Amino acid sequence: MDDYVTGVLTNIGLFSFLALSAYLLLIAGEMSFGQQAFFGVGAYSGGILTAIYGLPLPVAALVAMLLGSLCAFLVGLPTLRLRGLYFAMATLAAAEMARILFELFRFQRQIGGELVGPDGTQGFRGIRWVFERGVEPAGYLALVWGLLLIALVVFLLMERSRLGATLRAIGEDPDLARSCGISVERFKLGVAAAAGALAALGGVLFAHHNTYIEPRNFDIMLGVHSLAYALIGGLGTAFGPLLGVMVDLGVLEGSRVFQGYRMIAFGGLVAILLIFRPRGLLDEKVVHWLRARFS
Amino acid sequence: MLVDLIQNTLDGLTAGAAYALLAIGFTLIFGVLRRINLSYGPAIMLGCYAATWFHVQFQVGLLVLAALTLAATVLAGAYVERLCFAPHRDRSAIAAMVASFAIWMQLEELATLVLPNHLYAFPALYEGGPLSLGPFTLRAEALVMFAVTVLACLALQRLLYRSRFGLSVRAVIDQPVAARLVGINLPWVFVRVFAVASALGAVAGYLIVASAGQVTPMLGMWSTLKGMLAMMLGGLGSLPGAIVGGLALGLIEAHSQWFFGPQVRDLTAYFLLFALLALRPSGLWTTPRHG
Amino acid sequence: MAKSALFLILALASLPASAQRAQAELACTPSNTDFAYHCVVRLSRGGQPLPGADVSVGADMPSMPMAHNVRPVKAKPGKAPGEYQARLDLEMLGEWAVKLRLRGPVNDQLILHYDFDEKGARPVIRSGRLPRK
Repeated sequence: MDDYVTGVLTNIGLFSFLALSAYLLLIAGEMSFGQQAFFGVGAYSGGILTAIYGLPLPVAALVAMLLGSLCAFLVGLPTLRLRGLYFAMATLAAAEMARILFELFRFQRQIGGELVGPDGTQGFRGIRWVFERGVEPAGYLALVWGLLLIALVVFLLMERSRLGATLRAIGEDPDLARSCGISVERFKLGVAAAAGALAALGGVLFAHHNTYIEPRNFDIMLGVHSLAYALIGGLGTAFGPLLGVMVDLGVLEGSRVFQGYRMIAFGGLVAILLIFRPRGLLDEKVVHWLRARFS
Repeated sequence: MLVDLIQNTLDGLTAGAAYALLAIGFTLIFGVLRRINLSYGPAIMLGCYAATWFHVQFQVGLLVLAALTLAATVLAGAYVERLCFAPHRDRSAIAAMVASFAIWMQLEELATLVLPNHLYAFPALYEGGPLSLGPFTLRAEALVMFAVTVLACLALQRLLYRSRFGLSVRAVIDQPVAARLVGINLPWVFVRVFAVASALGAVAGYLIVASAGQVTPMLGMWSTLKGMLAMMLGGLGSLPGAIVGGLALGLIEAHSQWFFGPQVRDLTAYFLLFALLALRPSGLWTTPRHG
Repeated sequence: MAKSALFLILALASLPASAQRAQAELACTPSNTDFAYHCVVRLSRGGQPLPGADVSVGADMPSMPMAHNVRPVKAKPGKAPGEYQARLDLEMLGEWAVKLRLRGPVNDQLILHYDFDEKGARPVIRSGRLPRK
């Protein structure tokens, strides 16, 4: 595998965390335009913990995930009772606030003779924990996909459990779910926190892959793309978001057939796809059918 | 101090006039379709880019440029309506919104393919310096901006309250089911609402670009965000609210920029939006019917 | 596979940081193809030119990370010591984060911000308080 293929596959893995995060909220019936903020929280906090405080990456990742879920919880607390487009707008506002706060955030320390740490719009250089330990791109690829695989397994188990059924019930009809005795608000807060942790994990991995992050990395484009990936891939299974990421980053970008016209191709594809499959390629019906055939 | 305050208020109202125009277009679409059109700004951007391209090629005059912006924006708006909103009319609002995002990507790439540089000059409305009124300065473009905004609002008022089309639009906003039952041709209303909204957006876009003297690829996202923000501040789906929201956004931005700088300016606007949504999701405006 | 990668990371947790970082400068001229540039990378360390490195040059868009994968190219040694030449094939004009992966005498990754236009590339200098539009 050359550097290019490794790079594309790593990016697909990294983006999948964010798409899965958007997907988790989508199946609970909420559309968030702000998951990129928690991705950013993960990237910044993870980067600070390894680059400035010298903590090992696994510890930093855990702390970042906790922080990501805490932030998502706090954003969700006043907004999750909003419905549909209102929630989408509130999360968008929260995420843009987060991006501007990253722009205002300066926290630099002398590490080994150079200034390391977030420097406002100048970005945050020197997140070199993984790099300094000589981890080759292939090794990092394995780490990203290994963690993604674990996340997918958790998703698949969750969706087959009572919890998964509850989530879909809330997503389908919150009023009906409430009348069945489900505590809709509490479930949604839990979902938001879990989605925040997932996005933050992706962010930590992204920061350490890139060695450099800046506030603009986490603008609305990132969030809306992850949402689009989840929606075109399909809301029937956790493989949907992955498929969405692969279609865009793997097939359209990677193949270079549409070089220079990729967004025209991708945009048109998504718009037309949504007419025929408003819940994505792998929607509930397809997943049901596949399950009936192969199990 | 007082002079600065008044000057900032003037500047804020100028920017607010443009925001109000953007917000009216946004609100028309939201009020009638109950859908958010993320491609609203990118359609305006495409219109401005088309005009700029003509200007680069043929050096046309101001009025021709304005007409070109208008025509291209309405055309782009119609494309968005056909592809993102007509097919999802009775279905998911989310799917329509994501589709409009996808088309945003298309329009933006199309514009940057035609004009790949980061910045293009756009002929200014007025070449002279700012006018001074005692201690205050006011750009001539600001006066044009105000005048056009007021005219556009009056024209829209006439259209909505003095025409048969306006009657059906108001009927659809207030009672969508009843409107359908009395035989209003909904698809046709939607298409025309889109055209009117796009035209208003084009006017706003043209004025913004001409007073800035330049176009950049940021215009699309900027217009969508500002229009949406102003619409939400004023109250979703209310036309007078859109005007108030636009002016309020302009004032808030001007004052917070003067006191705290541009980053805090944006932060304040988003914080206000977030707080309004969190604290008064239904208090300041009517609840959504099927958002 | 994931576990072994994680283990590797844990085992290597206490390596010292490299003594002095390499620095890089970029000079690009447009080629005949749209959005493609001939670039010269000048590597130095502690003020001295740094020859003999294995340099690969890639690029990322700051506002859409992970989505624009410009194929990294191996740079060839240039005319002067410490100079390396590469052809950078971008997707559009504008600001790019150029990513230099160095191997050989130094093992490092440098990120440089350059604004690419029809004349060439200029380093991006960003002050903290620029309006965004």
